Amino acid sequence: MKKDYKKLLVIGSGPIVIGQAAEFDFSGSQACRSLREEGYSTVLVNSNPATIQTDPDTADRVYIEPLTAESVAKIIEKEGIDGVISGMGGQTGLNISAELAEKGYLEKYGAKLVGTQPDAIEKSEDRELFKETMESIGEPIPKSRSVNSVEEAIEAVRYIGRYPVLVRPAFTLGGTGGGVAYNEEELRDVCSHGLAYSRIHQVLIEESVLGWKEIEYEVMRDSKDNCIIICNMENLDAMGIHTGESIVCAPCLTLSDDDLQMFRTASIKIIRALKIEGGCNVQYAFDPVTHDYRVIEVNPRVSRSSALASKATGYPIARVATKIAVGYTLDEIPNRITGNTSAAFEPSLDYIVIKIPRWPFDKFRTVDRHLGTQMKSTGETMSIGRTVEEALLKGLRSLEIDNIGLDPIDMPDEEIHAEFTHATDRRIFAIGEALRRGWDPADIAKETCWDIFFVNKLKNIIDMEKKVRNGTLTESLLRKAKEMGLSDLNIATIRGDMSEWDVRRLREDLGIVPVYKMVDTCAAEFAASTPYYYSTYNGVATEVRKSGRKKVAVIGGGPIRIGQGIEFDYCCVHGVMALQEEGVETIMINNNPETVSTDYDISDRLYFEPLETEDVLNILKTEDVDGVICQYGGQTSVNMAVDLEKGLEGTEVKILGTTPDQMDVAEDRRRFTDLMRRLEIRQPPSGTAYSYDEAVAIAKQIGYPVLVRPSYVLGGRAMEIVYSDEELSTYMETAVKVSNHHPVLIDKFISDAIEIDVDSICDGEDVYVGGILEHIEYAGCHSGDAAMVMPPYNLSQRIIDEIVEINRKVALALEIRGLMNLQLACKNGQIWMIEANPRASRTIPFISKATGVPLAKIGVKVMLGHKLREYGLSGYRPIDHFAVKESVFAFLKLPGVDPILTPEMKSTGEVMGIDPDLHTALLKALMSAGTDLPTEGGVYITVNDLDKSRATEVARSLADMGFTIYATRGTSAYLTRNGVKNIRVSKSGEDSEPDALDLMRAGDISLIINTPSEHSGAVRDGHNMRRKAVELEIPYITTMNEAEMSVGAIAVKREKELSVKSVQEYHDLRF
Amino acid sequence: MKSYLVLEDGAVYPGHSFGFESEAVGEVVFCTGMSGYQESLTDPSYKGQILVMTFPTIGNYGTAEGFSQSDSVHCRAVVVREHTVHPSDSYRGKTIDEFLIENRVPGISGVDTRDLVIRIREHGTLKGAIIHDQDAIQETISKLRSMPAPSESDLVSEVSCTEIQRFDEGKEYTVGLLDCGEKSRILKNLREHFNVIMFPYDTPSDVISDSGIQGILISNGPGDPSHPNILKGPVRTVSDLSSSMPIMGICLGNQITALAFGGNTYKMKFGHRGCNQPVSYDGRIYITSQNHGFAVDENSLEGTGLIADQFNSNDKSIEGMKHRDLPIFTSQYHPEAHPGPDDTSFLFSRFLNVIKGEYR
Repeated sequence: MKKDYKKLLVIGSGPIVIGQAAEFDFSGSQACRSLREEGYSTVLVNSNPATIQTDPDTADRVYIEPLTAESVAKIIEKEGIDGVISGMGGQTGLNISAELAEKGYLEKYGAKLVGTQPDAIEKSEDRELFKETMESIGEPIPKSRSVNSVEEAIEAVRYIGRYPVLVRPAFTLGGTGGGVAYNEEELRDVCSHGLAYSRIHQVLIEESVLGWKEIEYEVMRDSKDNCIIICNMENLDAMGIHTGESIVCAPCLTLSDDDLQMFRTASIKIIRALKIEGGCNVQYAFDPVTHDYRVIEVNPRVSRSSALASKATGYPIARVATKIAVGYTLDEIPNRITGNTSAAFEPSLDYIVIKIPRWPFDKFRTVDRHLGTQMKSTGETMSIGRTVEEALLKGLRSLEIDNIGLDPIDMPDEEIHAEFTHATDRRIFAIGEALRRGWDPADIAKETCWDIFFVNKLKNIIDMEKKVRNGTLTESLLRKAKEMGLSDLNIATIRGDMSEWDVRRLREDLGIVPVYKMVDTCAAEFAASTPYYYSTYNGVATEVRKSGRKKVAVIGGGPIRIGQGIEFDYCCVHGVMALQEEGVETIMINNNPETVSTDYDISDRLYFEPLETEDVLNILKTEDVDGVICQYGGQTSVNMAVDLEKGLEGTEVKILGTTPDQMDVAEDRRRFTDLMRRLEIRQPPSGTAYSYDEAVAIAKQIGYPVLVRPSYVLGGRAMEIVYSDEELSTYMETAVKVSNHHPVLIDKFISDAIEIDVDSICDGEDVYVGGILEHIEYAGCHSGDAAMVMPPYNLSQRIIDEIVEINRKVALALEIRGLMNLQLACKNGQIWMIEANPRASRTIPFISKATGVPLAKIGVKVMLGHKLREYGLSGYRPIDHFAVKESVFAFLKLPGVDPILTPEMKSTGEVMGIDPDLHTALLKALMSAGTDLPTEGGVYITVNDLDKSRATEVARSLADMGFTIYATRGTSAYLTRNGVKNIRVSKSGEDSEPDALDLMRAGDISLIINTPSEHSGAVRDGHNMRRKAVELEIPYITTMNEAEMSVGAIAVKREKELSVKSVQEYHDLRF
Repeated sequence: MKSYLVLEDGAVYPGHSFGFESEAVGEVVFCTGMSGYQESLTDPSYKGQILVMTFPTIGNYGTAEGFSQSDSVHCRAVVVREHTVHPSDSYRGKTIDEFLIENRVPGISGVDTRDLVIRIREHGTLKGAIIHDQDAIQETISKLRSMPAPSESDLVSEVSCTEIQRFDEGKEYTVGLLDCGEKSRILKNLREHFNVIMFPYDTPSDVISDSGIQGILISNGPGDPSHPNILKGPVRTVSDLSSSMPIMGICLGNQITALAFGGNTYKMKFGHRGCNQPVSYDGRIYITSQNHGFAVDENSLEGTGLIADQFNSNDKSIEGMKHRDLPIFTSQYHPEAHPGPDDTSFLFSRFLNVIKGEYR
């Protein structure tokens, strides 16, 4: 132990939001391990239950509590914490630390900030101080001024001298609310938006360096002033597109050593001037013509870029930064990769790394896809190759956006030009397409502001594509195509005369197989023991040394996207841990650089690879594994099971757990319906339509409302509830293309039902129900978006018993070995089966945190043949406290999305509120999700006729607490008749009464309760109001269940002082 | 054209010829720098060597006049995984292919360079050849085995200047630069502080001491520092000058200084070549640029008056020395960088302070 601390607190980053994803689970977990390794007593706080860092064994005490200064202060007081580590929780962690200091909590409880100090944070975050600091060391920054109003902004542009200018809000995540203004009108608009987002109501107006190269350096410094560069990175997309939205390569490729050393020297000067102890990220703009540069930004903490740099180089930045924070110097920290050197070195790469962002536009079809200074991507993929082309194609194949590689794109020439100058997520495909059409790389480079080096790399891919299309697939051509990075499927698709399997067979017969190289931080200069590999066809020798031990591979979840969040990474990591506990060697395959699963410390061997059948099969064969787990990586891995089984035919490799055939029973509607009939379990009537007429007929037969969706997409995409023939026809025309190959699935929608999620483990004989979760919203809202309560608070014991029995029957019938998730609906005392998922579900980590039972681990042990009774688990045991899951949405960042919840998932992350009292747990969950329930003010109520009587009681309680009630005509009359005093208002612009939108803008409304009537036309009517509520951050409730629960939470907030309790305390109480 | 890298241990790496079309023989060494390939190619210390680049794609930003460290390419051949045909146009220079053709040096691409590096790491530096005729492989292997190591020839004489050159910068002090194959950046750094007189490596010490300089820098260079011509040339010169003026040594200059005071040098297994070598000095860590295959033996320094005061953090080998009583200091690494980090460029201003008598 270096410096003497009694107890250290690590602050996490809360839910996954755009701009802040799994990278902080990775850094926070590394930090905790790093501290405990040194013997420090460690406490962690985070509101996100889907993280590895909130596992009870990550820290001595783990708190799943709201990330507010007040609740963190309570933890500091209760635990007697004397050191707070702020740099591991992203901007959230830094902001809370700043608040703890400002509000005097640190002083009050005698705690210090450990690592980078508040003044250093301020110097890099406060624009004026940053500017002063850079000027004092002679580092150039873009001309700029901080302003607090639009008028000041216009004045600032006069000082800068030209448009365009950038508008950057101070203290926000991922550039929220920023933008580019090309003229005064745009400036007024972007600036007022930006001011609203800034925690300190301040934006920076800045000289534009649009079109310059964007370069990043990851720097570390210790208390002895030793400075090292971990990695430099080059954005393929020029300045003007946020680095989180850019394709990035590491190391920099198109800069000379002279220029790279210039940036290195500048980075070291900067980290010294800011007195940062730990890691920081410096971003530069570099003019490729004049070689002039500007310092753009410094992040005085670990960041998404540092997570990428860690994975790209093998250097554990968060771990080392944590040790520096508690006083170690770089030369005192051992380098675990070489085993006998220190952390005071700079990695040298002998491969090329490419990062590609993953955007949610497949889910949000109405959102503006243009990329800019504001982040819209939810996640990213990283790929490693020995050439740029190989790495790039691997990256594109890892995105899971239904592409095969650098796919053709159906786009007229003008639109391609538009992509070049004003990029969307499709730009790289547009460049590929332009090259396919024979455009000159030099022109493309000029228009896109890409370096021609990278354009020519894409051209190499397109040229190879042409050779493969037109030539004979000789051994030499096939080898060259594989060296270029084309997948078997890509080759098959280009040729059109063979299948992926044909290519595979031909390739294997010719002995064209990938070799595996090690990521070792030192370009092979030293013998290293990093168990971290990537594949390449650009080499002859493989470095994997097979062991004779029993081995199992776990297939990861790929990039974070809507519907496929950090929950699956949690499950994968637990899968690995369970295998290790059983003495089995573990192999992790994944391509997401943010996550804990791709920390090379987690598994025995890590493969950074695309998650496609070809790549996974190659690894399974090279490693000669005994088994593979497909159930833990969400849809990514589940979808692969059948193909893997096919590819593994004739080998000894087993797909562990539930068989692919049984998984198919659950996925295939006909087989599943047969099973339900046999088990006598109710299912909503349904049908499959191959034409519009058939769809109408089926809907008529089963009765509206119906749930419709295309058969060929998963995860709730393009899923809608329709209430009439008319709506059905609109849906069929706009949302899907129905055909013989692509039918539409139609289910009876059970309105006003309570939806229930059940997660369980089955060993073939016994079934253990890990948790039953009751949704607060009615059925019809995607379970990934729904707020849920555990244990159920509305269901009778008879219903619960019946649920447990149904679950048992289904699990045994599907011969589940491992985990299963059921989605059920309950109405009028009847239970309906919605779907069965024979795999790890999104709710596994939540339930595990709420109960203390590590479901994912036990699931794997069961797959290996253990029995539930060995762990004393059977039946169902309710918990005696409440855990509430709330979802977190990106509506603020994605203008154009209707913030109403539908069968299509929209949330990016989740939080948990845990408390012995139901309403307190809900309040904590809402606080963690950023919903600030009011304790006073005005409530605007407009509900449909069916909800009017329940709304009256809600309004009465709120009025009794002193709230002013505003209501629209119908609701108002009903309330008045039932003795609730209220003020009648109009929907926007209706008549002479006060207008609801005006009241919202004036700040008179602090809560909205709006239950839409039962058809989607009206649902869409409220769109403007909902968007406005999102922008003004007014809590918005759309169901009566939610309204009643919220009233309870408001009462708690008004009357009760919240207390904090660690998960260890909850579970000690239970066991 | 098909091309083969053949090694004395019998290993053969097939690839494709690029650059100048010719065959080559040399000592195969690897460099782990990720950028600065042109600086390395033109570094005279690579004389006699076949240079393997560990970074897999070389030539990405082309070449430009200002990057060269001498007026030609010195390594005998270059081995890469891939050379870039269409580089970035930011520096508006020739491609690496054109650059090598112009310098009449062959390259081989398509080699599994990582596997090759692991081989060198495990076996130590190997003699190798680049040939075009597949049928000549066996014969080449036997030739390589019987051939003396290229580092044993008098390589310094091939790269040193042959005439005394003066660079008057109007500075207060004038120093000498004993050119054993200096990188032009050393001269450039010196000229920022001094007037410089550059001497051929075999200039007699009386000529040097009569030239009126106030100090001398012994440069980097190729080959074995204990080669007879080095012993009777620069080593004797340092020995003669050591009591009369401040001396700074870089790389080979560090080894020459050790030999001049009676120390010994040895050949390393595969040396240090790259831009990321950590050096521990005065309780701090500096990241340095290096290119050497020989090192000073620490045990041999006892009683010489030289004190090793800088060490490589990885293998603890000597990275720098100073003299107990005399104004003499050296570094095994390259403070002039190019390629590599500028962390230790302060050594040049220190040399000025030493000459001024302000630093000891």
